[in-house]
Amino acid sequence: MSQPVSFVTRADALLGSKEAAAVVKGIRHFNDARDRVVAEFPIMEELRDRARAIRLHSLSHLDRLLGQFADQVTALGGTVHFAADADEANRIVAEILQQSDSSLVVKSKSMVSEEIELNHHLEGVGLEVVETDLGEFIVQLAGDTPSHIIAPVLHMTRQDIGELFSEKLSVEYTDDPTELNEIARAHLREIFLSADAGISGVNMAIAETGSVVLVTNEGNGRLTTTAPRVHIALMGMERIVSSWEDATVVLEVLARSATGQRLSVYTSVITGPRREGDPDGPEESHVVVIDNGRSEILGGPTAEILACIRCGACLNVCPIFQTVGGHAYGTVYSGPVGSIVTPGLHGMEPWWELPYASTMCGACEEVCPIRIQIPSMLLQLRERAASEGRLPGWLNKGMSRYARTTTDPQKWRRATKWASRLSAPLASGGWLRRIPGPGRGWTKFRDLPRPASESFAEWWRTNRGS
Amino acid sequence: MEWPQVQLVVTCLVDVLAPQVGRATLAVLENSGCRVDFPEGQTCCGQPAFNVGLTDQAREMAAHTLDVLDVTEGPIVVPSGSCTQMIAHHYIELFEGTDRADQADRVAGRTRELTQFLIDDLGVDASASCDGCSVAYHYSCHGLRGLGLEAQADRLLEGVDRVNLDGDKECCGFGGLFSIEMPAISAAIMDEKLDRVEASGADTLVGGDVSCLMHLEGGLRRRGSKVVVKHIAELLAGSDI
Amino acid sequence: MTAVLPEVLGIPDRLPDLEDEDLQTLFRERAQDVDAVVHGPVGRHGVPRAVAGIAAGHQCRSFMAWEDLPASGVASALTAAGLTRVEGEVPVETRMEHQLGYRDLDLGVTGATAGLAESGSVVLEHRPGRPRMASLVPEVHVALLDLILMERTLVHWAHKFPESVANTANLVVITGPSRTGDIEQQLTLGVHGPKHVHIVLIK
Repeated sequence: MSQPVSFVTRADALLGSKEAAAVVKGIRHFNDARDRVVAEFPIMEELRDRARAIRLHSLSHLDRLLGQFADQVTALGGTVHFAADADEANRIVAEILQQSDSSLVVKSKSMVSEEIELNHHLEGVGLEVVETDLGEFIVQLAGDTPSHIIAPVLHMTRQDIGELFSEKLSVEYTDDPTELNEIARAHLREIFLSADAGISGVNMAIAETGSVVLVTNEGNGRLTTTAPRVHIALMGMERIVSSWEDATVVLEVLARSATGQRLSVYTSVITGPRREGDPDGPEESHVVVIDNGRSEILGGPTAEILACIRCGACLNVCPIFQTVGGHAYGTVYSGPVGSIVTPGLHGMEPWWELPYASTMCGACEEVCPIRIQIPSMLLQLRERAASEGRLPGWLNKGMSRYARTTTDPQKWRRATKWASRLSAPLASGGWLRRIPGPGRGWTKFRDLPRPASESFAEWWRTNRGS
Repeated sequence: MEWPQVQLVVTCLVDVLAPQVGRATLAVLENSGCRVDFPEGQTCCGQPAFNVGLTDQAREMAAHTLDVLDVTEGPIVVPSGSCTQMIAHHYIELFEGTDRADQADRVAGRTRELTQFLIDDLGVDASASCDGCSVAYHYSCHGLRGLGLEAQADRLLEGVDRVNLDGDKECCGFGGLFSIEMPAISAAIMDEKLDRVEASGADTLVGGDVSCLMHLEGGLRRRGSKVVVKHIAELLAGSDI
Repeated sequence: MTAVLPEVLGIPDRLPDLEDEDLQTLFRERAQDVDAVVHGPVGRHGVPRAVAGIAAGHQCRSFMAWEDLPASGVASALTAAGLTRVEGEVPVETRMEHQLGYRDLDLGVTGATAGLAESGSVVLEHRPGRPRMASLVPEVHVALLDLILMERTLVHWAHKFPESVANTANLVVITGPSRTGDIEQQLTLGVHGPKHVHIVLIK
């Protein structure tokens, strides 16, 4: 995990940027579409309740489900590999590719692959990996990182992409999205059809059948898992449900919440490699089940965050995410979910700051299809950060002083009287335009009302007191 | 029917920065026929400490607040969704399994936000008025999502000339200490909200929480706006403040 | 390990019901929403002509078809119209060479296991004689769907036929042509998968 610079530093640099503006525009679209399809679907609320129950059940029975899944996959002629951490996962994938003589590898979207920095590792051992999800392809070409878990290039304009293609793919410049699309399609088609191996993510694994479910829109997920002779599916260990029926409950709430689609274009359910007599499909099938810190989270107070189905709705409604975009978080998982998952997977240093990147407005919990109690877990993490002494000195001291003052009504009366007297000469029209110390962050951007010359308590004593 | 004895908790922000909201709330309650008392030991519910994770200090402040309120009787009425949520929901969490658990339950059960008390509990015919103004209403997050407050303010504002405010259920960017811990982001969210307030054509911005309102008013003043900001209690009290 | 998880209230066994709707009408509306084109319903004998018509409309010159389509005579009608048939069986030894031959494939014709009215989707179950590539590589995909197989939603269909998934190495639910909004949130169709999806309803 790179980027030790603070969230606030990164975020402030992104405020008002072209990138941030592009993010807001894209997000509005998702939110409107989501609201429409949710309002139209009368059983949405009941399915959310069910989806929550299903995901929590999975987390409570994770060992058993993973065992059942592994048995089923093996019985179908596939192989399940368990990876304790990123290093092990990367080694396993590299080994599979080397042992299967795979040199050209196509990849469809997988958040966990970004989490473990798979591409970087594979390139390090001389393997060529081509991202095929249009947004990820663009990000790879640009040597950049995605800015949103569902929409990787939310931060780039069509002109940015046009310039990129003309430079890197040696084509004539165009910024028409349809033409850019054609260019990518043609370029990647050859690669798909001649690739040796395909690496995909997994939206959900199904324990009873040994299946993996992929949810995509472009067709690259299907091509990645159909054209090459080897398929490697990468899966966070928590992404599992018991049955196909349970999976479909989740699928009904997933796309609606993510992008306002009723279902994504392709929902693929892959159950083992090509069977006897099948005309096409991969001959070799692997699933790499990755822990990388998830057991830690599971054993702690933020276990519920593992129920997340990666729809991105919480990002889309978060006022902080809307204002600064995904790159501000400096990590693969951004937004509200990311603010809980990241310190969980990678520790409080330096990620303790992320839970503070929130006004606790609760919009995230309101839209989460799994009804995950995000604000309460943010508070848990804040409590942990505070007890680990990570808060700035002025805040610790200031709050101690405030607590002492407010637990003694006489002290409170004196303090408010003093605040009023001290601020009077600094104020104009009852407002302060500049205050010193930690409060200067306030007055840099807005006025602050000055403490009234007579507090309510004083007024009461004077006019109504006994 | 005997109108109840109610306890008025004004909140720390109102006491120090916006006492007129306290007077307005008092007037509204008395005009609705309540006998109002003001427990004088009240200071702060502890939310600022709770929200940043300084739970021990939050507990100290909450314990003090519980002691002040537990010796009183009747509904506890608060002109703030966020402080009401703190007392009504989080106090129970803070003291669960301790010897203040029962006390927390008791006080939490009596605590009501102002519009909630007027419409849901008293069922009064109170009606906001604002002569010659056009009003935009901002639904504060804690009240809206924490307490389910929405219809109450809508009812109370039926008599005013109300304009549509785009994004009226979206956060204003205050977020407590967030406003000074991440001030530029807070201000950016605020700017977005204020752009919409100005685009709405309203000359008066109304809300139910002084925390949001002082942040928004501070921003409006900074950008030289003529929009006036009022707490809904002030519209309800009219000239009785 | 024991996870610290919130309790969940009891969920009723039975899925919540939706109000009755005419499934065919709903399907048409929802398929249109996702830019799929719905034809028919036609009688089984009218299917070859319908498919040939679609092929002509897109000026297709080559096609791949499932062996077991719900109507007979489709492949021969297309061949008669001058289209070249491309073999969908991929030999293990010459996989790459064979698949590179799909580069210019214009049309794929498949059946469907079910239609899902709420989302305008078709469900395809793959098995011997049913190449996955037929609904994936060509620019045009035509799915032949028996009306009797129309269901309301994915979740209701799955609860009715839970065994479908285990019976095949690959099941896909297709909801319109391939799409992306990755470039400035502007919708583009036919990214890697088909650009045109036609669904012929069979009565």
